Amino acid sequence: MAKTILAVDDSTSIRQMVAFTLKGAGYEVIEAVDGQDALEKANFHQVNLVLTDINMPRMDGLKLLELLRELNHYKKIPILMLTTESGDEMKAKGRAAGATGWLVKPFDPKRLLEVIAKVIN
Amino acid sequence: MTDLKPENHSSAISNVDELVTNGLYEMLCSANAEEYFVNIKEDLTQVDRLVSDAVNNLVINFKYISQLTKTHHDMVLAIEKLALPEEKQSIIELLQKQMVIADKIEHELEMTVTSLQFGDLVTQLLAHTVKQVDSLNKELQRIDGKENFNNECTSWQAKHQKISKAVSAANIRIKEKPVAQQGMQMGDIELF
Repeated sequence: MAKTILAVDDSTSIRQMVAFTLKGAGYEVIEAVDGQDALEKANFHQVNLVLTDINMPRMDGLKLLELLRELNHYKKIPILMLTTESGDEMKAKGRAAGATGWLVKPFDPKRLLEVIAKVIN
Repeated sequence: MTDLKPENHSSAISNVDELVTNGLYEMLCSANAEEYFVNIKEDLTQVDRLVSDAVNNLVINFKYISQLTKTHHDMVLAIEKLALPEEKQSIIELLQKQMVIADKIEHELEMTVTSLQFGDLVTQLLAHTVKQVDSLNKELQRIDGKENFNNECTSWQAKHQKISKAVSAANIRIKEKPVAQQGMQMGDIELF
């Protein structure tokens, strides 16, 4: 059975590029436009990995990360941050909040798939 | 464009003096500054709209080309299966060449995925610039309105200091730049 990935980004083009890459590799993809939308969708779907942006309206990726880690199902699910932010301070915040990894945009499809394959199993 | 010929310049100065006497000069300056900032924001919004529109179109084209490539790839495979190896060797060779081309197109499309992310980077940088402009506008309005900036007793040096303070205050209010990338190369990956 195909594994499901929740892809969160307020940029339509990024969501489309992520979905294109992941679907091409056989993953099921659920798209969310911001942290709030992702949190609602995370409660309704059985997700195997979350890939989220940070700077988003309504709820940012770090808040989403914190709230997801409070949910039982998401305590051990890999959560990867895919963002333009590359500062050490921001990375430390993500790490402290329970992020599995940090990917700086723009992403390379092959490398993204390699990282996902590594952490999803 | 303003004409700066000497005779016109002196007449312009006398007009300014008249405006200052009537207390209209500050009002006009303030309105001009406001209009100036509004124009900058409009320009930035326009750039964002144009980039977003271009990216959306590029993504549509990308997805269509990708779909066509996949169909082409599948068709070549199907034809290859139909051709008999002994009798149709020349056709097989042509199909193999077609497969090499299809693979190369797929590879190029994969690389395009990285480049097509420029829209998101540009949008974030523009949003950051709009915040900077807004912040500076607010600080300048604050010193203009509350600190008797236009008081005749205020020296140019004092005015300069106040403007410098406003720029510093605006700068502090803006958080770190959200995009550090200078090119479209793949970003770093770190697993915790």
